[in-house]
Amino acid sequence: MGSRNMATLTKENPLMSGAAKTLFPQPCILVIFGAAGDLAWRKLLPAIYNLNLDGVLPSNFAVVGFGLGAKGDPDGWIRDRAKEGIQHFSRHPFDQRRFDDYARALFFVEGSFNDAHAFERLKAKLEVVDAQFSTANNRIFYMSIPPSLVDMSVGHLKAAGMVRDNEDAGAFTRVIVEKPIGHDLDSAREINASVAQAFHEDQTYRIDHYLGKETVQNLLVLRFANSILEPLWNGKYVDHVQITVAEEEGVGSRLGYYEGVGALRDMVQNHILQVLCMTAMEPPFSLAPNVVRDAKTEVLHCLRPLTPNDVETSVVRAQYIAGEIDGQVVPGYRREVADYFAKANKPIPGDSTTETYVAMRVFIDNWRWAGVPFYLRTGKRLPKRASEVAIQFRAVPQILFNANPDVPLEPTVLSIRVQPEEGLALRIATKLPGPKVRIYPVKMEFNYNTGFGGSSPEAYERLLLDVMAGDATLFMRRDQVETAWQFVMPILESWEHSRVRYLPEYRAGTWGPLEADKLIEADRRQWRTV
Amino acid sequence: MSELASSELSETTSLSQIEVVLAQQVNAGKDPNEEPVRKARMSNLVVYCDQPQVFETIQNTVPDIVAQHPARVILVVKEPGEVDGQVQGAVNVWCHLGGGPRQRICSEQITLRARSRGVDHLPYAVRGLLLGDLPTNLWWATNTPPPFAGNLLQDLADRAQQIIYDSIGWPEPARGVAATSAWLTGIERSNGNGAWRVASDVNWRRLKYWRRILAQALDPTTAPGALDSITEIAIDHGPHAVIQAWELVSWLASRLGWQIGGGKIQPNVEIAWKVQATHGPLTVKINRLAEGPTAIRRVRIACTIDGARTAINLTDEGKEILRVTLEGQDAAARTVMMPPQPLHDLIARQLTDRERDSVFLESMAVAKVFAQSLLK
Repeated sequence: MGSRNMATLTKENPLMSGAAKTLFPQPCILVIFGAAGDLAWRKLLPAIYNLNLDGVLPSNFAVVGFGLGAKGDPDGWIRDRAKEGIQHFSRHPFDQRRFDDYARALFFVEGSFNDAHAFERLKAKLEVVDAQFSTANNRIFYMSIPPSLVDMSVGHLKAAGMVRDNEDAGAFTRVIVEKPIGHDLDSAREINASVAQAFHEDQTYRIDHYLGKETVQNLLVLRFANSILEPLWNGKYVDHVQITVAEEEGVGSRLGYYEGVGALRDMVQNHILQVLCMTAMEPPFSLAPNVVRDAKTEVLHCLRPLTPNDVETSVVRAQYIAGEIDGQVVPGYRREVADYFAKANKPIPGDSTTETYVAMRVFIDNWRWAGVPFYLRTGKRLPKRASEVAIQFRAVPQILFNANPDVPLEPTVLSIRVQPEEGLALRIATKLPGPKVRIYPVKMEFNYNTGFGGSSPEAYERLLLDVMAGDATLFMRRDQVETAWQFVMPILESWEHSRVRYLPEYRAGTWGPLEADKLIEADRRQWRTV
Repeated sequence: MSELASSELSETTSLSQIEVVLAQQVNAGKDPNEEPVRKARMSNLVVYCDQPQVFETIQNTVPDIVAQHPARVILVVKEPGEVDGQVQGAVNVWCHLGGGPRQRICSEQITLRARSRGVDHLPYAVRGLLLGDLPTNLWWATNTPPPFAGNLLQDLADRAQQIIYDSIGWPEPARGVAATSAWLTGIERSNGNGAWRVASDVNWRRLKYWRRILAQALDPTTAPGALDSITEIAIDHGPHAVIQAWELVSWLASRLGWQIGGGKIQPNVEIAWKVQATHGPLTVKINRLAEGPTAIRRVRIACTIDGARTAINLTDEGKEILRVTLEGQDAAARTVMMPPQPLHDLIARQLTDRERDSVFLESMAVAKVFAQSLLK
């Protein structure tokens, strides 16, 4: 599927043979829908600046923002906004001279997503920029917009003749779709169907920035490039797996989006299930995009479906109440909701039942993982920002060093930190010096920054480059997204039907509700301190 | 990373005491409130130099290398003088804060010195100081091309998986290039029993952005017909960068399947070759500029794009920007950032880049043919 792009758009260039595809991203215009928004400001525009500084962008490249919000000269406005975003969020420090080189290829077209004339203006602008920068009619449309606007935008793009079928046109058109892809299975299917009306699947890049993180990519290397690990990576040796995505921040400025969405949709359906797939997948027979994605999708198919009773016993949702973070008192979620809607002069909803925390136990019913619980948890206003995958190995037999039940051995744990401080650690038992046999757990650590130095590229940098190079390995395929939704739907439906107005609560600055502890303690296990 | 700090270079230490003195230095000055010092070691880096000024450069470069790629550095120095003597050792450590405000991360440097016939003992000293289970790299930091280095390089590279050399400023470029190309085929080892070895030229690494921008500028999608219509290539370079330019044209010739004809050389001014491509003959010229940075400054390629005769000019404007223009066309100049490539960055990146580079080897094979045409 993925090879169709490359075969048709790249006439043979012997100067590029033998080099990695990402070293030669193809000439193109990146069109950012919603360029006035938060994501573009914080992530996308700084990411392009960093790629430019690293000298990895194609020489024939330009960025055109599209949307509402410009004040005065649109091009000048987006350049100022990009500058501000870079000054705040860029990996590389801001440098005026380097920024000038970036800004000369940065433009903005003001227009509404429901205005066909605006799309005509966009098309005209793209033709001008294309001639100026020799981008060979190649376009990447980045949908950094709410899901509700995707259908309309794609329709207008197609109507305006801006979507080319690669095989016919000799130039590529690609679309990047941001999460959330729907708020349930039906809406996800609708969005996918909308996109599919104009774009083939191999032109579609559904982005999940977690997959651009070095440590997540390293999961594949760690598992399949180390002969000591792969033989142990199964239910015979692994006791259980914990995947944690903890956030110290509250909902903040995303409250308008978050209320009614919650942690299950916001984190579990996409990020956590994607990381779960990377952790549990079978060895792919090659690194071709669809081979890797097939292997990941298999994991989703093998997830044991949750019955309403399972949801009762295996899933915990909760909401934070007022507490303390970094010595500062912070309000509870419902207080924030009330303040947010009051400030926006909107009706304040009744007591919100939006979950800010989810913990769950899931099983992967295949040969490798039969009987091994995977504990997933995510929450806001937890004590710190930390994401990790922890593989806890089975205890050794209760003889020799593990004979005294009052002093059990700490289990061997391999933990892979996704953020911050990307790296991995192995906890093993070792003998304390001295005549007596006393055992002490030690942690052997590898830290990406310490080991490899410098700053790793941001996930968005890597992923943008992959789209320019036509490599879809790290992007979600349509069936993956829909299968992930299929898995979480019983939970959403169960919650919907339960009509429970009370949610377990946890104090901001703690590791979640008591119910989550009970969930794992019922299995005689504990949540890890991350 | 922050607050790079170093211990003083120790007094001369006997080889048997080096590990002891290193351990003392790592923990010297540690604040009681600090977490245990962490020794970070991703590689063994053996550096050989035989010139005092090169030693100074390396001594100043090592802290930046290990900040980027923590390594045990074994700096091997051949000192001037005829009097034999034992190998002398000295140590120091390079530390920075990382992994937390109270965590010092340190890399070790061992400096070994010898003169005259004592130099022959250096490889023995090095072997005893290498850390097991880490990749070993030899950085051959001398002006002598590796093929002319004799047994010393062979012995130092005995356990190395990578030999890094820098062809910049080599005297007798044609002789150096021809010999090195042949040497490369012998020095590289395949993967048998884990005893693989590659060789890398820092100068080749410097060409990364030039190769990338050339590949893009000549790409059939944006410059239709250009690759099949080149009639002349002219490269201007600063002093001592002739081999850099040479490697660039060799890369083009190897990728595009050109046959090398006769060449002539006007020392320190110009080298010119006649070349046969499938579409016809072309001329390749390498011009030395009298002054300026030791780097390629401009590449001009005469060709036909979309049926129109033109020339692509790629110019290093000296401000980390490469400018691409088409002669006789009004299209706006395109620019590409060319990040600075300080020596420490080039070396640190090369330490993690250990794959056999077939494009480099094929280019060097063509570079040898270019050289032989001048040596006839």
